[in-house]
Amino acid sequence: MSYIISFRSCGAYYEPMENDTLFRFEDVHLQVGKIRILKGLNFEISKGEFVAVIGASGAGKSSLLRMFNALTSPSQGNITFRGTSIDADIQTLRKNVGVLFQNPVVFEGTVRENLLIAGRWDQNITQTLDHEILKALDQVGLKDIELTHHARDLSGGEQQRLALARTLLNHPQVILLDEPTSNLDPKLAREIMDQIEKLRKLLNLTIIAVSHDHMLMRRYAKRVIILSHGEIIGDGDFKALDNSQAFENAGLLGNEVNDAT
Amino acid sequence: MRPDFYVLNWNDLLVSSLFIVFSIFLIKKWKLGLENTLLIGSLRTFVQLTIMGYVLTWFFDQQHWAFMLTLLFLMILIASYEGSRRQKKEIPHFFAAMFVALLSSALIILGTILLFILDVKPWYTPYAAIPIGGMIIGNGLNSTALTANRFVGELKHREKEIETLLALGATPKEAVFDAMKASIHAALIPNINAMMTVGLVQLPGVMTGQILAGIDPIIAVRYQIMIMYMWFTTATMANMIMLAIVYRQFFTPKLQLRSELLREKA
Repeated sequence: MSYIISFRSCGAYYEPMENDTLFRFEDVHLQVGKIRILKGLNFEISKGEFVAVIGASGAGKSSLLRMFNALTSPSQGNITFRGTSIDADIQTLRKNVGVLFQNPVVFEGTVRENLLIAGRWDQNITQTLDHEILKALDQVGLKDIELTHHARDLSGGEQQRLALARTLLNHPQVILLDEPTSNLDPKLAREIMDQIEKLRKLLNLTIIAVSHDHMLMRRYAKRVIILSHGEIIGDGDFKALDNSQAFENAGLLGNEVNDAT
Repeated sequence: MRPDFYVLNWNDLLVSSLFIVFSIFLIKKWKLGLENTLLIGSLRTFVQLTIMGYVLTWFFDQQHWAFMLTLLFLMILIASYEGSRRQKKEIPHFFAAMFVALLSSALIILGTILLFILDVKPWYTPYAAIPIGGMIIGNGLNSTALTANRFVGELKHREKEIETLLALGATPKEAVFDAMKASIHAALIPNINAMMTVGLVQLPGVMTGQILAGIDPIIAVRYQIMIMYMWFTTATMANMIMLAIVYRQFFTPKLQLRSELLREKA
């Protein structure tokens, strides 16, 4: 473990104040069958952070991300959200911790029906007023879209924004991003990431993004967690860790690093 | 003039076995290689049904409520076993789900028919309870087995959709509600279609049997109408009860989809 690099102790930004801690992972393991996917993770995430989790494919990034909204539970170890066990009230947790998947799921029906899908079980959503819907659409850059438009006719990028707006109507504190831009072209990917960064500042959101594209992530995330074979081999300031030994050990450094700016 | 009875005797059966002889001739001519299987099949038909005839005769002589209930209970057990055997992917506790679904729909529907519609006295008279119970259980079995398969298919197909709904804060029931609706819908459509066309193209088996046995067609038709209604209600009830138990098996207590159950077994 000698190659673990931690910048926690040297940067004021990462010295979380007690009441600012959102997530705390304590010795979190995940084993599925005989395969050990995550091996003893320890870290905290504070309110307002933009954290990128990067690693080669198969490093356990997506499994880790699914733990933040309890779609997957650790086989060993503890996760707390705002000081209480993450399992205490899973439905409320999931409203607080939204997720944007790689391929957004858009349901049969109109834009409005998609946005209000949670109204099937949540009275608060049923009572969402039109101006709130329009505000959410505006916040994700879909200002000019018709609410009666058929949602499955939207382009890939628009569908991704629609899924983001749907999450925003739950008034989340955290948004998880699971390779949200890997199916979009670079320009569109950057537009959506810009929008998310703007939202983070505006709504004081915490963003946790999983990606193999560290070139894109370094533009937004201040902190990076580098995963390799289910272990954290680097956690700290993105700029400081860039091009470090940890990046190389994670199998992330290729030719493209030369034209990084 | 309506004939009183067409009674088949053993000689008549011997003549009807000429159908099989003729089929074997045709099969041989086309070299389909099915003659042995057909021979075994037709012998089994003969032996199994003949035995069943004697068994039923004995059943019909039993006049005791405990006997009737035990028999129905056994039929439901066998149907539940058969239903779980037909499951391509293993659903946890499917046997129990089938059992509860078939038992409750049989109790309610058979009870209603015996007590309030046919006014059978005493209610455990085997002549009514056994064939009607058999129809309810058999129909419930076929319908629920199909629906369960369809439901697992829907879950597999909608896995991302279900996780998206869970991630938005849905309960497992809300997350799979569309999948449940789609699979029940698919199960009930054929039943409704059968009600649409019954009598136009083909006469149902029960009615044909009754007419051949000398029952007035007007009466036979009334039975058939009741049976069609009964079938539909059985299918609806049994499917809903079964799905209400089955969908829970696909979630953990932490409201997570057990997607490992949807993967093909190696």
